Amino acid sequence: MRFVIEHLQKSYETKTVLRDVDFTFESGKIYGLLGRNGAGKTTLFNCLNKDIRTDGGEFRLEVNGEQREVLPDDIGYVLSTPTVPEFLTGREFLKFFMDIHEGTIEDPRPLDVYFDEMNIEPADRDKLMKNYSHGMKNKMQMLINLIARPNILLMDEPLTSLDVVTAEEMKRLLRSLKAGRVTIFSTHLLDLAVDLCDEIVLLSHGQLEAVDKSNLDDQEFKEKIIEALREESHG
Amino acid sequence: MGRVEAGGAAVWKTLRLTFALRNTYRVNSILYALKQIPLIGRLLPETLYGERGLKIFANVVSVFWEIIAAFSGKSIYFLILTGAVFLYPSPDRQGLFLYLMTVCTLIGGFVNTYMFNPSKDKYYALILLRMEAGAYTLVNYGYELGKLFVAYLLFGLLLGGLADLQIWQRLLLPFFAVGVKLFSAASLLRDYKNKGKAPNENKAGALYWLILLLGLSAAFGLPILEIFWPGIISLIIMAGFVLAGAFSLPAILHFPAYRQLYQELFADWMNQMDKKGVSKAAAAARKQSEKAISADAGITSSRKGFEYLNELFIRRHQRILWKASRNIAAVCLLLVLAALAAIPFFPEVGVVINQMTLQFLPYFVFIMYAINRGTSFTQALFMNCDNSLLTYAFYKKPGDLLKLFRIRLREIIRINLLPAFVIGVGLAVLLFASGGTDAPSHYAVIVVSILCMSIFFSVHYLMIYYLLQPYTVGAELKSGTYRIVMAATYLVCWFLMRVQMPTLIFGGMTIVFCVVYSVIACVAVYRLAPKTFKLRM
Repeated sequence: MRFVIEHLQKSYETKTVLRDVDFTFESGKIYGLLGRNGAGKTTLFNCLNKDIRTDGGEFRLEVNGEQREVLPDDIGYVLSTPTVPEFLTGREFLKFFMDIHEGTIEDPRPLDVYFDEMNIEPADRDKLMKNYSHGMKNKMQMLINLIARPNILLMDEPLTSLDVVTAEEMKRLLRSLKAGRVTIFSTHLLDLAVDLCDEIVLLSHGQLEAVDKSNLDDQEFKEKIIEALREESHG
Repeated sequence: MGRVEAGGAAVWKTLRLTFALRNTYRVNSILYALKQIPLIGRLLPETLYGERGLKIFANVVSVFWEIIAAFSGKSIYFLILTGAVFLYPSPDRQGLFLYLMTVCTLIGGFVNTYMFNPSKDKYYALILLRMEAGAYTLVNYGYELGKLFVAYLLFGLLLGGLADLQIWQRLLLPFFAVGVKLFSAASLLRDYKNKGKAPNENKAGALYWLILLLGLSAAFGLPILEIFWPGIISLIIMAGFVLAGAFSLPAILHFPAYRQLYQELFADWMNQMDKKGVSKAAAAARKQSEKAISADAGITSSRKGFEYLNELFIRRHQRILWKASRNIAAVCLLLVLAALAAIPFFPEVGVVINQMTLQFLPYFVFIMYAINRGTSFTQALFMNCDNSLLTYAFYKKPGDLLKLFRIRLREIIRINLLPAFVIGVGLAVLLFASGGTDAPSHYAVIVVSILCMSIFFSVHYLMIYYLLQPYTVGAELKSGTYRIVMAATYLVCWFLMRVQMPTLIFGGMTIVFCVVYSVIACVAVYRLAPKTFKLRM
């Protein structure tokens, strides 16, 4: 499976944010999306999640050589600030999600199995989510986005404000789940990107561009990335 | 050495900076508001904050705003006091006016000190720009007192004659008002110095409200019984406060810890500003909505899918939905019963009620508007539910979106119908009990049209929520169109209060309008909501 973006454009009045995004993502890989502040990473995600209208271009899924439109169920979008319906308990949210996806989720398991997998304590499962900590909300959001096994997983700075233990858990989880889907992970943390991601993609001048690691070691690779990003301010 | 002597030039500079800052802030607010208006906003360039012509225009508006704001409140205040003098039975207008003026100004002096009000412009100047706190505070405070003085002088001279005040008495008023403010500010500053507690007047406790209530009851209640002290006492009190104010002045001018005071007043505000850049209003709205969620562990639901989501939402928000609706219905029922009980004893009540039900149906549009739970419902829906769920793709599938719309529409209609039913049937019963009517169709028209009004408002609010979705992810209300629609709704209902029309005609028109509107609204939601109902970025 491949996720193909062709000539995607987005401008705000006078400012062009996405000039000509043209890129093909392969399934089974985690892509680290890097860009300077204001480069348009969130705009790109919002376009792909159809939260804002694009000005031109298209993006499609290619399965077994045939392209088709991207449907809402294809996309999971994890935001940096976790958002969960605060009037529900964790268990209720999960049940609601399972209810409306009845029949479409492969091998559904009992709710507690999912909670166990995410290391959400039994005592917390029946608490209103308005009383959840940041990390707990993040776990819930991740859980919901993972159960449906979306073909494309978009993550906007998802690990930045988690404590180190939770962040490690999440990293392990993401690695275990990357098979069979495209994971695009935006971050400002270079170490995290190099550590977790299989490919690094830069968003600069409104375009996407892969950074070739070939035979560089991590340190050289990081320097190359920083150099590439630095050029943008003079571009 | 006092700050004032520290140099006229420094004071002048602070004054200039203060006004420049305040004006920039206001001009930008005006430009921002213009940008929010549909159509006009689209015509304005993104660079509007740098456009000279627009800036001049906004500056003119800003100056008018300042003048209107300075005088509108005080003009109403003086009109109320003068009007009250004519309404009360006492022939001693002068004494009564002076009494009201003394008590109300004293209350005002402590309720609104200017100094202990942590406002946005102070936050910008003192915390963000770190202006010198003493000079800034004194200049600002002096300006506020100046405005107060001019307003009291102007309206005192203009309206004082109506209350038989002599010229010197009218001239005393502005000095008295300023004296009270100075005295209250100085005593609060002294309190702060001794106890170390900064009284934030926007977050007052129960005691404050109790004193305010007692004070106002004393001011406006006692004169009904012709109890108030004679004019001479008021004049002595006034003169006393002029002196007290003058003696308070040095304490204010030489107070050493203004920065510390404001840092404390702004403490929680700074916390909030640091968090995610969400505005104070939005944060407060979110907090309020979160509070509305019931923590009752006994609330569950045995339904499935969207019905499950809806049932839990309705039950956990009982306080602002069903409970509020039941309370309104109970109050309406009590009023109806009270009117019913009054009719046999006071025949004139019957006449009035009969006329009311036959001529004043338009009035009930406003009442139905006022008691509708629609806006509370949509606000809670967004803050506690859609705000988060709209970030999930599965929630935005057109078919599911509309399924949930249907469920929510059914729910809010039911919630609003309870009080509507009580009012509709109550009016019909009152009509019957107060002598009835020649045309029995009146009864049906009253009941049906009231129910229709209720359904109309339910549909209306939910429709504009789905079509305009006015909030951003941070719960900020960002849609100018939404504000305009809400204001227009209010204005139309308000104007209808002034309309007198035979019930059969108005009721018939209402029923037709509500049915047609609701059908169009639902069609519009079905056609457009899948595109419009999303988070604002």
